[in-house]
Amino acid sequence: MKKKIVGMMMILAMASLAAGCGNSKKTSSDKGGADNGKGKIYYLSFKPESDETWKKIATEYTKETGVEMKVVTAAEGTYEQTLKSEIAKTDAPTLFQINGPIGYKNWKDYCLDLKDTKLNSWLLNKDMAVTDGDGVYGIPYVEEGYGIIYNDAIMKKYFALPDKAVSINSTEEINNFATLKQVAEDMTAKKDKLGIDGVFASTSLLAGEDWRWQTHLANLPIYYEYKDKNVKDADTLDFKYADNYKNIFDLYLNNSCTDAKMLGGKSVNDSMAEFALGKAAMVQNGNWAWGQISQVQGNTVKEEDVHFLPIYTGVEGEENQGLCIGTENFFCINSKASEKDQKAAIDFVEWLFSSDYGKKAVTNDLGFIPPFNTFSDSEKPVDPLAKEVIKYMSDSSKKNVDWNFTSFPSQTFKDNFGASLLQYAQGQKKWEDVKNDMIKDWAAEKSVVAAN
Amino acid sequence: MQKVLKKYFLVFTLPTLIAFAIAFVLPFVFGVYLSFCSFRTVSDTKWVGLDNYIKAFTVNKEFFNALIFTVKFAIVSLLSINVFAFLLSMVLTRGLKGTNLFRTVFFMPNLVGGIVLGYIWQCIINGVLSKFGTTLSYSSSYGYWGLIILMNWQMIGYMMVIYVAALQNVSPDLIDASKVDGANAFQRLRYITIPMVMPSITICTFLTLSNSFKLFDQNLALTAGMPAKQTEMLALNIYNTFYGRIGFEGVGQAKAVMFLILVAAIALIQLRFTRSKEVEA
Amino acid sequence: MTKKKAGDIALYVLLIALVLLFLFPIAFVVVNSFKSKLFISSNPFGIPSGESFAKFGNYTEGIEKTNFFGAFGWSAFITVGSVVMILLFTSMTAWYITRVKSKVTSCLYYMFVFSMVVPFQMVMFTMSKMADTLHLNTPWGLIILYLGFGAGLSIFMFSGFVKSIPVDIEEAALIDGCNPIKMFFVIIVPILKPTVITVAILNTMWIWNDYLLPYLTIGLSTEYKTIPVVVQYLMGSYGAKDYGALMALLVLAIIPIIIFYLCCQKYIIKGVVAGAVKG
Repeated sequence: MKKKIVGMMMILAMASLAAGCGNSKKTSSDKGGADNGKGKIYYLSFKPESDETWKKIATEYTKETGVEMKVVTAAEGTYEQTLKSEIAKTDAPTLFQINGPIGYKNWKDYCLDLKDTKLNSWLLNKDMAVTDGDGVYGIPYVEEGYGIIYNDAIMKKYFALPDKAVSINSTEEINNFATLKQVAEDMTAKKDKLGIDGVFASTSLLAGEDWRWQTHLANLPIYYEYKDKNVKDADTLDFKYADNYKNIFDLYLNNSCTDAKMLGGKSVNDSMAEFALGKAAMVQNGNWAWGQISQVQGNTVKEEDVHFLPIYTGVEGEENQGLCIGTENFFCINSKASEKDQKAAIDFVEWLFSSDYGKKAVTNDLGFIPPFNTFSDSEKPVDPLAKEVIKYMSDSSKKNVDWNFTSFPSQTFKDNFGASLLQYAQGQKKWEDVKNDMIKDWAAEKSVVAAN
Repeated sequence: MQKVLKKYFLVFTLPTLIAFAIAFVLPFVFGVYLSFCSFRTVSDTKWVGLDNYIKAFTVNKEFFNALIFTVKFAIVSLLSINVFAFLLSMVLTRGLKGTNLFRTVFFMPNLVGGIVLGYIWQCIINGVLSKFGTTLSYSSSYGYWGLIILMNWQMIGYMMVIYVAALQNVSPDLIDASKVDGANAFQRLRYITIPMVMPSITICTFLTLSNSFKLFDQNLALTAGMPAKQTEMLALNIYNTFYGRIGFEGVGQAKAVMFLILVAAIALIQLRFTRSKEVEA
Repeated sequence: MTKKKAGDIALYVLLIALVLLFLFPIAFVVVNSFKSKLFISSNPFGIPSGESFAKFGNYTEGIEKTNFFGAFGWSAFITVGSVVMILLFTSMTAWYITRVKSKVTSCLYYMFVFSMVVPFQMVMFTMSKMADTLHLNTPWGLIILYLGFGAGLSIFMFSGFVKSIPVDIEEAALIDGCNPIKMFFVIIVPILKPTVITVAILNTMWIWNDYLLPYLTIGLSTEYKTIPVVVQYLMGSYGAKDYGALMALLVLAIIPIIIFYLCCQKYIIKGVVAGAVKG
């Protein structure tokens, strides 16, 4: 009998031990949520280049309001992957983002209707939001533009050369692909005189670092194809402007500061460093990259020398083409989070785009061009690239290119295209095959995504 | 004794059983079930039968390619690791001075984790390749040999330690006797040493094979499948299918079930095969 | 005799060459961890000097970016906690199911053995989901998961050893009226000691270096990141692949392992051999 009691007690002790371990988390998190009744925020950020800035903003917000906030940044090209593993958790992100209607399709079960938020009412252009029926499920928080960034100091040096092969005298006069090509090739021929390793910075094709080509550059041919067909999305693609893509991609490769066989090891950061150190005169990227240029140790590029050139690909009538301007960043609030946490997240984004600290952080530290009416004209970002984007936005003589890549079928499609481009760059794949694979993959991925 | 112990069943086993149920049994059963479902998270499962298993092969060739790559990798690393480790252990059992020091060094890489190891070798291999103006992602064969080198570096010491222990147990009398009989070095190896250490050979082949098949961390850190998923092994492919593609969770789970069947089959066949060899010897 | 000597010298040369080859990768990382990041890719095999010498800059950056000491602490806590739990509970279970023969125990035994073969990918999603539902996505919870997932190998090894212990002592003790629990800890555990060391070492090596399980269950969003998770995070994230900080972090990740190894070398090698022979 005594033994039985001892045995029972042991069982009880162990069971309570196991249960205690299991529950300790629950009680502590309950306490964490209840201690101030303010809820908590977990933001899953998309932009690795501004990871530290977001963390700073979160710390400041906690200091100011006492609301607990954490920021986690997904690695390049793995946002959806990270979101998927994080959102299945009890402590799931309360604030996350989608890249547009395609992203909404994947995550609609988790998107809260934001129609009645102040943030929505502040939107300058309500059409930009991701909507479904009456509801507003994703609110864009930044407008961005990309093109070819150039270092005018090097360009001026080139245009001052007595033996230059072109008749124009400044970079601003470049307004089509033929001229750009002429300039780039002549600069490559004279690169020793100019003190550069190549005209263009590395075409980074490391997996996950290839979005400037498989997404951003690919936007141009798709934009023109959509325009011809007068659509915003398509189940199949002709890739009619494939040769235009090849034009510019070849130009990047042949006049690069890096041998094409080395490109598979290059990251975006490498290219930005090459540009910042003056090893290359041009690099394709967007206004978000200013930080990556200005913070490089030994940076030789002066702020006033940094400008944008539209990406010309040899399409007819491209003389009026502007930068590629749009957004793929839409804030969503997790509809499965507790009401308290949802409110906390909404409060945070409203604070970010209306308080003095928030607004300053948005424009100065993040370098965002916010699409909200809470910002006056004097509250626009002042970095040279953002200023250029704003200039292009207000220049009515230029036709800016929409961001149609938000309609690309899937991350898998983009990754496959990027891998294909790498093989092409390394001379292992014919352009015809790159093109055909892209068309095939587009249709296949569109149908796969539609079936889900 | 059985009787006395019967009522202590829960005392002795309960904590392990609870943990085992949480960490293995329930996830396993649920995992098999999910491989027949279409789902995003567990709350929205829909039975689709064998659809996922078919999709694993029909949507693209990734899984099949990963299988081929893994098999090729496993065979070569199995042979190279065991041959090198065996030779090394023969050298280290000759009674040379400083044997312990050598053994310490050779075994050390085994303790370094796969992720850390992968990045170390990525830097080294890229460094070497840059002298030739290229990188690891230029060709899948670079990634392939990179993985082989890495695996050898990591596993040789482990296998060597096992072989050393086995060789030390081979009785010197037997060797001496065979010398008297006029057997040459090769014959001694073939007819005495190898049969004597056959159990260790079984173990080592089993360990290298199952480690090679399940390789994940090293693969992720060294090549992450570059270029174009050509160096993606089965475990990484399953992970990428599951977490990398929305709508393919079920397919990823189905691939995992097939992976399990494969690994289990290899374990069985291989154990049978080498065990029967031992009996012959 | 001279012929043998010449052969020995040749062997020594070979062995020393191999030692250098084996140590090279580690030396490579150590050297590069003192190089400023721009020089790591441009001149990977050079010795840092002058402007390429970064002093401890990479270390401070790597530690700061990843909160390395925090990660070290959690790695240590999880590893030690899990190994202690595994040793305690699986040895009890193994002894019991080996000694008490019934359909249930032999069924359990085969389930444990089967679990050894199952690749982690099979249960990665369902296990992390389960862990989340039960609120086990903490370092404490992880210990339970490791106990469960590591039970297979440990029980297999313990029960292999228990089979070789004669039952007589236990029977005598029980007849004397000794309580089985007391008997287990007083009589069996001391006999099990060599296997305890083996099991401890095999599990330590596995858990300390494990990446996917802590990544999927604890993830990036908590402060409980372990060393492999922060290494992967540093490399994958930030868009800025900072090779300088990475090198420093790799060195920091290796140091504790090497110290541990040099201290318990004898046990580790013995443990591995014993583990292999039984496994």
